[in-house]
Amino acid sequence: MTSSTTTSSDFAIDVSTKGLGYNRPQQMGRKLWAPMWVMSIMAFPTALILGIVRSNAISGGESEPTIAALGHVTTGVMFIGFTAVFTAVSFAIARILGEFRKGGGEVQELVGSEVRTLKMPPTAKIFILGMAMGMMTLLIASIIHLVVAAQVSSGSLSLAGAETAAINLEAVRRLGVAVYLGAITFGLATIVKVLRFQAIRIRELVQVSS
Amino acid sequence: MTSTADVRLKPAADADYRAPSRYRSRGLVLAFIGLVVASIAFVGNLVAVGQTGTDQASTLAWTFGVTTTGFALIKTAIAVVLWGILMKLWLRADSIKVALPKLVGTPAADQAALGEVDTPYGKVTVTERAPGPLPIHKMAKKMFRPMVAMGLMAVIVGLIVSFVWAGSVPNTAASAWTQGLQFLGEGMLLSGIAFLLGTILWAIRTAGGEVQESLGVRVYTPKMPRPAKAFVALMMLGLMVSIAQFVGYVVVAGSSDPVAAFAWLGPLREFGLGLILAGIALALVAIGNVLAFQFYRFQQLIQTGERS
Repeated sequence: MTSSTTTSSDFAIDVSTKGLGYNRPQQMGRKLWAPMWVMSIMAFPTALILGIVRSNAISGGESEPTIAALGHVTTGVMFIGFTAVFTAVSFAIARILGEFRKGGGEVQELVGSEVRTLKMPPTAKIFILGMAMGMMTLLIASIIHLVVAAQVSSGSLSLAGAETAAINLEAVRRLGVAVYLGAITFGLATIVKVLRFQAIRIRELVQVSS
Repeated sequence: MTSTADVRLKPAADADYRAPSRYRSRGLVLAFIGLVVASIAFVGNLVAVGQTGTDQASTLAWTFGVTTTGFALIKTAIAVVLWGILMKLWLRADSIKVALPKLVGTPAADQAALGEVDTPYGKVTVTERAPGPLPIHKMAKKMFRPMVAMGLMAVIVGLIVSFVWAGSVPNTAASAWTQGLQFLGEGMLLSGIAFLLGTILWAIRTAGGEVQESLGVRVYTPKMPRPAKAFVALMMLGLMVSIAQFVGYVVVAGSSDPVAAFAWLGPLREFGLGLILAGIALALVAIGNVLAFQFYRFQQLIQTGERS
């Protein structure tokens, strides 16, 4: 089918008499973006201060376990911040999608048309899945950093063990960031699809109302 | 009036609003390539665990460069998809311009006074004409392309330096230049994304105004929301921190004992990116707020038929 004959029926849609409002992920996005954002804005400066403390510990000749533990704590806190900020970004994208879904439905309802709502596209499903995977990966890596810090400072883990853990966790963290960024790309791609659907649908409303 | 510069920020006059966005598909392909690149570095990192001495240091050096390049590719993909959003926003606005005159009700006699009015979505400015861009919009429209381009270049140069670093470990200078350059590039890329979001906010504001003006009604424009103001401050601060960490790494590149400096430069570079990301989250929130207001305004127009 050529684009010049595309109608809203060519999309996977739900048809209803009333606007469907926000779906569950969008409701969650509306409620949770702010706490996530606040958490990130607290974690970043905390990690920076810890980094400065560690730098001073190195310059001051503190013990190697202390320096290793501080390194793990700094990274753990910093990546709690990244987990939170990526989550805030993802929830903000879900919130935008929610405004399109709710507003689009209300406008159709108002003009007396049947309400056509885009079903959750595959890109949105990948967005949610990727977000969950990225969040869990980063969060688990951050927690393990804090556990390793506790172990190395208590002497139950050797310096070599702490170093190996740092290399492993760095790999996992980086993969988590890549997955999260990829998920955000899919979330934004969903917005492009919704905009296209609405551009088509709003012109159809004229025929319905006349 | 549409300026020549603005024309390049809008789709062609004959663009088909029904056609799928090629920016969307290109962005998704680029994101996939970025994920593959980051996965290669992930495998390299795991291999490094089993290595020792120079071999391990060498592997960690090139995986650093490759991972950051993977991130940069995905961020570029995000910028490409945002460009697709910008183009589709204009096409949707064109559809609204065509449809809304036929959907509005009987014209109402009373009109809002010019100035400011309260709405469920905060204070809005009421004017007769569509508003012009704010200074931050003008800056965003000019800056997003150079920021993305310079950011990508810095990351790629850093990647090349990381290969030099991998071949000559321990090499403090190459290590410092790789980290400084690549995180400056990441900061610039994120700033480019932030400027693109600012451009999208401009497009929503301008298109919303133009739709109302074309109907002959009073133009309601939301005042710059607090998240948008905080977004600008965080983005600027984050970019400055990214530049500062680069300067720090350049200074440390000549040092014979960089360990203590690396201990605070690492968190500093991540702090800079964190600030820009926090700003980006607020920009997305501001976009959601403005869209919610626009739907409210369209419904108001359809219900009341308010015309000047």
